[in-house]
Amino acid sequence: MNKSVALEINGEIRELAVEPSKTLLQVLRDEMSLIGTKRGCDSGGCGCCTVHVDGKAVYSCMVFASSLHDRKVTTIEGLSRGGELDPLQTAFIEEGAVQCGYCTCGMIMTAKEFLATEEQPDEEQIRHAIAGNLCRCTGYSKIVEAIKTADVNR
Amino acid sequence: MSLTSVKEYFTPGGKKEALGLLEKYGDSALIVAGGSFVHGLDARDLLYGIEVLIDIQNLGLNEITSDSAGLSIGAMVTFTELQQLNEVQGSAALGAVRDALKYPPVQIRNVATVGGNIASACPYFDLPTAIMSLDGVVQAQGPDGSREIALQAFFSGLFQNALEASEFITGLYLPRMPSRSSSAFIKLETNANDLAIVNVAVRVTLDESGSCQEARVVVGGGVAETPVRALASENLLQGERISDELLQRAGVAAQTDLQPMSDHRASAAYRSAMAKTLTERALQRAVARLD
Repeated sequence: MNKSVALEINGEIRELAVEPSKTLLQVLRDEMSLIGTKRGCDSGGCGCCTVHVDGKAVYSCMVFASSLHDRKVTTIEGLSRGGELDPLQTAFIEEGAVQCGYCTCGMIMTAKEFLATEEQPDEEQIRHAIAGNLCRCTGYSKIVEAIKTADVNR
Repeated sequence: MSLTSVKEYFTPGGKKEALGLLEKYGDSALIVAGGSFVHGLDARDLLYGIEVLIDIQNLGLNEITSDSAGLSIGAMVTFTELQQLNEVQGSAALGAVRDALKYPPVQIRNVATVGGNIASACPYFDLPTAIMSLDGVVQAQGPDGSREIALQAFFSGLFQNALEASEFITGLYLPRMPSRSSSAFIKLETNANDLAIVNVAVRVTLDESGSCQEARVVVGGGVAETPVRALASENLLQGERISDELLQRAGVAAQTDLQPMSDHRASAAYRSAMAKTLTERALQRAVARLD
């Protein structure tokens, strides 16, 4: 039987009837067409599907949508404000921190939570923070650089 | 995650309701805490016949309480919440817990719970090894009341625990260690997101003269069906004055209590060799924490 779940997604309250085995990732992509969140390994190993639940980075492929009643979900689509990109998104563009782009949304969501707690992290801290996100193109240098230069206080 | 046989997802509002659901659905029900390892159980074909998920997030099991006797950690407490606890960040005695929680990526720490991690009885997990070195006790609730199960007895086999079908974990209790106690944990892994090849947790309690009053050496990560106490190593340390040479011998002795597996991560021989080295290093780290 579907479960009725009311949650906030990118600032909007949504009431959903969720199949009991569906993950947050499945609901976001397949039912809400929020396809910025990527399906990579689908088993909590790559980080492409990272979103925020109540401000904390999680693998959306490992979270049951049915568990999220009254919670707040933020995806990459929810980062920009009034058409203006988040400083992290701008930094990724300016540093050219994107190769194939498949890991980018997850990287940004992970970095977003990290920079909310660490204001001026060094390179080692940044690399540790994104340890749960794989870039199969191996382009980590520019990703680290983008996180380092992102003007999050702007 | 497929889980196509799952037909219902319950979020009971209290323990009684959860127990009622467990009684009603029996073996076809699975208790879910954070849910982050459900796919891992599914991938190993361990969820055959599961039709009902019972999510225990609304049972008030997310508290941590600390008193002079020890630390009570609710089943729903996440790795992140445990990691942020002052005692976990600061005390030498809880060093093994602090070390173990540094390995998983933030996306896991924010979701994975203490209760779910223990209940999975996965031989490759890190936290069970760490808390076994601290004589952790599982608190379980069933229809006839609650009971406590020492962690060592709780893990009864590969992905098997000592819970009855009508019971679930409500929390973990860590008794307070005597002064001059220190613990440490080390994991050998291929990358930040992989399960352990070998992990080791140790705890020592020293007296004023630097002799070892009590020792725990626990090895996990596929060195047996469950994390195991390396008794030969513990016995060797007991009552002896700590020295580099003693810690080295304790590492060698740790190998005698293991029956390591060979799998795609490592051979049995490699696991055994690494258990020796990591035991020695974990002991050095624990002893250094008392300086």
